[in-house]
Amino acid sequence: MEYLSLFVKSIFVDNMIFAYFLGMCSYLAVSKNVKTANGLGVAVIFVLLVTLPINYLLNKYLLQPGALAWLGDKYAALDLSFLSYIVFIAVIAAIVQVVEMVVEKFAPALYSSLGIFLPLIAVNCAILGGSLFMQERAFANVGESAVYALGSGIGWYLAIVALAAIREKTAYSNVPAPLKGLGITFITVGLMGIAFMTFMGIKL
Amino acid sequence: MNTNSNTYTVVYSTILVMVVAAVLAFAASSLKSRQDDNVKAETISKIITAAGLYEDGCDAKTVYSQNLVEAFLVDAAGEPVGKLAEGEVKVTSDLKAENDNIKAGKSVKLPVYKFNVNNEVITVLPCYGAGLWGPIWGYVALKPDMNTIAGVVFDHKGETPGLGAKIATEPWFREQFAGKQIAKNGEVVAVSIIKGGAPKGDINAVDAISGATITSQALDATLKIWLGQYKEYIAKCAQPAGEDCCEDECECETSENQED
Amino acid sequence: MDANMKETLLKPIFKGNPITVLVLGICSSLAVTVQLQGALVMALSVIIVTGLSSFVVSLLRNTIPNRIRIIVQLVVVAMMVILVDQVLKAFAYSVSKTLSVYIGLIITNCIVMGRIEAFALGNKPIPSLLDGLANGAGYGLILVVVAFVRELLGSGTIFGLRVIPQFIYDAGYVNNGLMILPPMALILLGCVIWIQRSIQKDLQEK
Repeated sequence: MEYLSLFVKSIFVDNMIFAYFLGMCSYLAVSKNVKTANGLGVAVIFVLLVTLPINYLLNKYLLQPGALAWLGDKYAALDLSFLSYIVFIAVIAAIVQVVEMVVEKFAPALYSSLGIFLPLIAVNCAILGGSLFMQERAFANVGESAVYALGSGIGWYLAIVALAAIREKTAYSNVPAPLKGLGITFITVGLMGIAFMTFMGIKL
Repeated sequence: MNTNSNTYTVVYSTILVMVVAAVLAFAASSLKSRQDDNVKAETISKIITAAGLYEDGCDAKTVYSQNLVEAFLVDAAGEPVGKLAEGEVKVTSDLKAENDNIKAGKSVKLPVYKFNVNNEVITVLPCYGAGLWGPIWGYVALKPDMNTIAGVVFDHKGETPGLGAKIATEPWFREQFAGKQIAKNGEVVAVSIIKGGAPKGDINAVDAISGATITSQALDATLKIWLGQYKEYIAKCAQPAGEDCCEDECECETSENQED
Repeated sequence: MDANMKETLLKPIFKGNPITVLVLGICSSLAVTVQLQGALVMALSVIIVTGLSSFVVSLLRNTIPNRIRIIVQLVVVAMMVILVDQVLKAFAYSVSKTLSVYIGLIITNCIVMGRIEAFALGNKPIPSLLDGLANGAGYGLILVVVAFVRELLGSGTIFGLRVIPQFIYDAGYVNNGLMILPPMALILLGCVIWIQRSIQKDLQEK
C-alpha cells in the first residue's frame, strides 16, 4: 500500500516535469515527434531505475552524517554529505557509460533505438534531481527509492510523449509568428501542468 | 605530451580528484561551524516561536537565553537524565537520532525547555517523525498545567508545496492548536488532526489541511508518539509537590486543580 | 579585441539569451521564481558557477584527456556548485533552505556545460570567464523578470515587502493564486519569448 501510494504520487502529483521542471532541456529539444520522445522517455526510466538505488546505498553507507559508523566508532562522527553532489553526478555519468556499453553489446536492437539518447541523459536534470530528492526525502529503504525512481521515470515518460503528441498537431496550427516553436511549446507545457494539478487532491 | 595515453588519463584524473577533494574538504570544514550555528539559530527561533516569545526582528538567541528557566533531558520514565549547557539546543538531527531510539525501543534522552513567559512557566517539547516525502518536526508549548497548549510550530523538509508544506506556513493551522488540551481523562492523547474538520467543541482535535492527507496523518502520529514518550514526565509534573522532577517550579503543583 | 569583449559580454544578455534563444538551462530553475529573493540568489549563484567553471576549464583546456572530457568538466562544475552551496549554507541559511535541491541542480544546468563545450574549450581564460559571467547574467535576467511578475501578481509583494496598497484590496482586488503555481512560470516564459521575438523578428522560427 505504501509502495503503491508512493508510486502513484511520484507519477502524477510530484511529476518531475510539471511540478519541478526537471529535465526541461532535453524535454523541449526531443519532443518534436512521438517516436524519438518514446526512446528518450524509456532511457530516462531505465537510468533513473539503475542510479537511484545505487545513490541511495552510497548516501546511506558513505555520505550522510554518521553513515560511516559501520567502519567502527572512530568514523561515526564523520559527515561527508558535502561530497554528495559530486558523488551522485559521478555515479550517474559512470552508470550511463556502463549502461551504454552493456546495451550495445547485448541488445543491439535496443541500442540502435536508445543509443543516441543515453549520453544526453548524464546531464539530464531529472536524473540528478531524482537522486537529490531521494536524499532530501530520506526514504526508508532501497525498495522505496526504487519505486520512487520508477514512478518519477514513468511520470517523465508520460509527460514527454504527451507533449510530443501535442506538438505534432500544433505544427499545423496557425500560431502568431513570434510564438511559433519555442514560445507556444512553453505555454502548452504550462497548460499541461495545470491539467496535471487536478491530481493534487488524490487520496490513496 | 600525449594527452590520450592511458597513463596520462589515469594520472590526470587522480590528481584532479585529489585537488578537488582537498579544496572541498577545506571549504566544508572551515565553514562547518558557521553552518552549525545557523542550524542552531533556526532551532532556537522555532522554539521561542512555539513559546510565544518570537517577534519580528528580535534576536532569537538573546530572547532565548533571557527567558529560559532551564533546559534539560528526561528519559521515558520522566526522570531527568542530564542538563543542556548554556545556549545548547537539540537540533533536528539530534531529534532524528532520538526518534530512531524510540522506534527501536531503546532508552531515550528527550529535551525539555522551560521558559518564563509573562510570569508563567511554559514548557516546550519537540516532536519528530516521517511525513509524506521527508521528515517533519515541530515544537509544542504547554501552559503550566502541562495540559493546555500555548502554541505550536511545525516544519518539514520536503512536503509538497501548497499542500503538506502548509503545516509550516499557514497561520490558521498553527493557531488552532492554542488552547487545545493534550490530555483526556488524565491520559495523554495528544491532539488529533482530523480530516474534514474536527467536531465542534472537541478540546483534543484540530482540522487537517485539505488535500494533504498523508502529511496530516503523519503529523498526528508524530505528536501522539512524542507526547506519549513524555507522558511520565508530564504526569509527574502534574502531581502535587514533593516530587523532585519539577525541581524548582511550583507552577506544576497547581495543575491538578486546573485539569478537571 | 575590445569590441570583441563587448560582444562577448553583451550578446548573451539579449540577442543570444541562453534561455529564450538557445533554450538552455530551463531545467533546474523555474521552480525558484515564486519569490524575487530566491530568484536573485539563484541567478547570482549561476553567474558565479558559469563564470568560474568556464575560467577553470579554459585554463585546463589543453591538458584535459579527450576521453574523460565530460567527466572532468562535470567534476569542475560540481566543485564550484558545492562551494557555492557551502557558502550559502554558512552565510544565507534561510535562502539556501528555500532553494533546497535546486542549487545542486545547477550542476546539470545546460548553460554551464553548454558554455564550457561551446566556448571555454576553444578560448583563453579571460574571455571564457566573461562569456560565462555574461551567459549567467542573461539567464539571471529572465529569472528575475519572471520572479518579479510572479511575486507582484501572486503575493502582492516585492522582496517580501507589500507594494500593492491596502485600499486596492479593499476595493475587491485579490492576489492571483495561479501565479504561485509552478505552471505559470512556463506560461510567463512563453510570454517573455513572445515579446522578445516580436521585437527581434529575425529570431522567429520558420
